[in-house]
Amino acid sequence: MGNSKGKKEGSTIYEVCYLILPSIPEDKLDDIVGSIRGIITEESGVEIDFEAPFRHPLAYSMSKTIGASRYVTSDAYIGWIKFEVEPAKAVVIKDKLDKLEEILRFLLVKAPRNTTFTFAKAKAVAKEKEEELESASVEDSSMVKEDVVK
Amino acid sequence: MIFLSKMRKPNYFKENKIEYIDYKDVDVLKKFLTPHARIQSRKRSSAPSKSERQLALAIKRARFLGLLPYVSR
Repeated sequence: MGNSKGKKEGSTIYEVCYLILPSIPEDKLDDIVGSIRGIITEESGVEIDFEAPFRHPLAYSMSKTIGASRYVTSDAYIGWIKFEVEPAKAVVIKDKLDKLEEILRFLLVKAPRNTTFTFAKAKAVAKEKEEELESASVEDSSMVKEDVVK
Repeated sequence: MIFLSKMRKPNYFKENKIEYIDYKDVDVLKKFLTPHARIQSRKRSSAPSKSERQLALAIKRARFLGLLPYVSR
């Protein structure tokens, strides 16, 4: 990693982005995130950053088979945690996350220390743009009305 | 015509100071997809080879997480 500020020796920064099944009630999400955090801390991982899960529509439907039942869903709770851990222990974390039944899918990848993107930030930017467009269209329509009156 | 072909096309990532192409940043990634949701050729995206590789990896990660589609009609 390029950024070595506060770096533990021999450790690498990873990010786990997870999708939680939408069938799980919102008040139980914290428990699931807690269990993911527990897995990371068990393997002496140090959390750097995180974003709480929120409901997000999926680009395509996914399925997960738990026991004899198969869940097909087109939306899920998405969240991520960035942490620092030794590469050997990252494999153990991956294996443990695989066993969590509430997780629909997850991605464990190496990441830079600095967080440049969050879903919350992206949402705020999109909202601002929408408002700007709306105000611009209202101004245009009022101009047209004035012209018609004249 | 020779002059035109040798002109450098703008690099989106350099212009917007994007050092790390994040797989979660769907709005940026969508700019480099065709209407059928395939990854644009370098001829169209005009991204340098390093960014092209990072971009392809980010798009594939986003697809896996269901943030982007594999195919679109």
